[in-house]
Amino acid sequence: MIKVVVVGGGWAGCAAALAAAKAGAQVVLLERTDLLLGTGLVGGIFRNNGRFTAAEEAIAMGGGDLFVAMDANSRHRGIHFPGHSHASFYDVTTMEPLVKKILQNYGIEIKTRARVSGVVKYGKKIQHLLDDNEEVFKADAFVDTTGTSGPMGNCLKYGNGCSMCILRCPTFGPRVSITAKADVKEIMGKKADGSYGAMSGSCKINKDSLSPELKDKLEKEGMVVIPLPENLKKSGMLGKKACSQYAIADYAENMVLIDTGHAKLMTPFFPLDMLRTIPGLERTRYEDPYAGGVGNSIRYLGMAPCGSSLKVDGIDNLFCAGEKSGILVGHTEAVVTGLLAGHNAVRCCIDMKYLELPSELASGDFINYIHAQMTTEEGIKLRYTFSGSAYFERMKQRGLYSAVRGEINDRVIKTGLNDIYNTCLV
Amino acid sequence: MLYKLAMKCIDINSPYCPCLLAETNHCTFCSHLKGEAVCDCNWSGVCILYEKQWQAKKKNWIIDADAPVRMEADTEFILKEKIAEHTYLLEFEVIPELAQALDRCGSFVFLRRPSDQQFYQFPVGVMRVIGSHIQVVVETTGPKSAHLLADNNNHVLVRGPYFNGIFGQPWIDNIVNGKILLITGGMGQPPALSIAHRLVKKNNDIKALVAPGRIGKVFIAGELTKLGITVQEVASMRQFGMQALTELLTDSKECPELIVSAGPDEQHYGVIAAMQTAQVNLPMAATNNATMCCGEGICGSCDRLTKDNKRVRTCKVQTDFSQFAQE
Repeated sequence: MIKVVVVGGGWAGCAAALAAAKAGAQVVLLERTDLLLGTGLVGGIFRNNGRFTAAEEAIAMGGGDLFVAMDANSRHRGIHFPGHSHASFYDVTTMEPLVKKILQNYGIEIKTRARVSGVVKYGKKIQHLLDDNEEVFKADAFVDTTGTSGPMGNCLKYGNGCSMCILRCPTFGPRVSITAKADVKEIMGKKADGSYGAMSGSCKINKDSLSPELKDKLEKEGMVVIPLPENLKKSGMLGKKACSQYAIADYAENMVLIDTGHAKLMTPFFPLDMLRTIPGLERTRYEDPYAGGVGNSIRYLGMAPCGSSLKVDGIDNLFCAGEKSGILVGHTEAVVTGLLAGHNAVRCCIDMKYLELPSELASGDFINYIHAQMTTEEGIKLRYTFSGSAYFERMKQRGLYSAVRGEINDRVIKTGLNDIYNTCLV
Repeated sequence: MLYKLAMKCIDINSPYCPCLLAETNHCTFCSHLKGEAVCDCNWSGVCILYEKQWQAKKKNWIIDADAPVRMEADTEFILKEKIAEHTYLLEFEVIPELAQALDRCGSFVFLRRPSDQQFYQFPVGVMRVIGSHIQVVVETTGPKSAHLLADNNNHVLVRGPYFNGIFGQPWIDNIVNGKILLITGGMGQPPALSIAHRLVKKNNDIKALVAPGRIGKVFIAGELTKLGITVQEVASMRQFGMQALTELLTDSKECPELIVSAGPDEQHYGVIAAMQTAQVNLPMAATNNATMCCGEGICGSCDRLTKDNKRVRTCKVQTDFSQFAQE
């Protein structure tokens, strides 16, 4: 039995574990905190713009379990909000147990509160990992999905300090990059001004703290756009944001709230006393990050150098996905890269040629394009997503964007990759 | 179950962190404060960079060169009892805050005459804290300690608290209902006594092996017996003690979970050799015998080399003694 260990239980890690299990490996998923989904616990937005295409491609390739679960647990579907079409919002408050169940049904062993802090390698091969309790995790291949944000020291140095976000570093210990511990030099993303990192782009407001009228409107329509009073318009914030698909003027002029279970406020942070001057938000309070009035987490401080197969350069049996694999934003992006990394981890164990997604597919083009962009001084200052900014433009130009299920399915069949993730390789 | 020790600074989570080393990118713990670009620490529950941000008051360490970094007490000896040739039991009163801070095993203070230059200060392990009284034992062999007690001087300047007197302190702090072997001799006896008190509180079963050592006297055996510890006295640790220890370690019924070695480095290495002979590998807490001048990680006199070729300032850094390269 070949064994794969995935480190990090966010969307990318869950997808990697799933793909590795489907390809026939015995899988252990290690998660530092007591919950899966990582920052997906405060996410919620998917299927908007090109993410629809990417999700359907993953479904056609046989890796759709997580998207099907998101669909089944959506609070709203087909929502249009500034700059975004046909978005769905899954419910962040109820999503985690569902995903956990799916993974367990595939026989994946999930170990929570297991913070990996040591990597032992022999030559270019990782032998085993060690957690804080000195427990040893041996495997044939490993997947690093430890993300790129936190811990507090980084958020302090490159941002406004720890904002007490869903990562909960002080309690469960800081994230540790497997790639860095394996002595691979990581790449650091930059802000537009050249400084390192980028601030996460949204806050969650407790929905019950909104005025009843606003709450009702939000729950009925899925989103609310509130024009900002003149004195509150701030356009300097946009360059700092991680989610560049929301770094558009609409978001500087208006306050956009989205119903993901909490009220998702599409701005990195907003001082509470100023927020409470807006009609309907007089009694509002933050749900995540708790200090959303002051700042937000800092991301992209440590991406693994890797190619289109998502194997980490310089290590023979380490793969990466999610933000660890490039300057990408979002759960759809995390799942797409996770599936590929988990699948390739199994191929690594059986000496099989790695799967690389072709540029005829949006997900293939996306991965190739990001890695090319990351080598340029300009490209390292941008963030990439199927849902907006530079990459969505490219998608449309190259005819890769489609919101028609059948069309996307045919495209996948044409590349011969339909149900590839459902194929047991072992 | 005693886990492997991660290297950690003893001052973390105390009022003395972040220290002067954080100002110059020499912090022993935080990667940012070592001048690196991103976080990479052996997480201990505290972010030192954060502590530094919130404790701007520490600035006075730098600005006012004469301000003491730790507490200082200008006091007199209440008790000066000769235990053996060149060996004295001293007792003095200090401010209650200092006494309270010193009431843990592994703590030590620096002593000198108030009228002397600062470089006369030398470190002494604390044996007992009774209220605001501190008891220590001093061997007057070097110029600093000899000068402190010369011409019947009674004045002393006490500076503290310092904490890193024992390597492997977390093991001592965390062991409950355990089986422990305490090996002590000579000037290792005062710290051994404070460790014994601590271990007895946690309902541990302790056996002690005591030798007179270089000072030529066993002076804690009575008190150890009173604590309910089985004491075995040997005339020489080198000749008989290590023999007895090897026998004890090979007997699986008698084999302890933790060894505490309070004595000179030769004794620590002897214990490690005995473990190798008996083919056991037990955690060992050991007293810190490094030469110290400043106690703040600045001067480097307590610097030791580890087996993985790192230099460690032992006045501050807590680690496993067996990780040091034998010098």
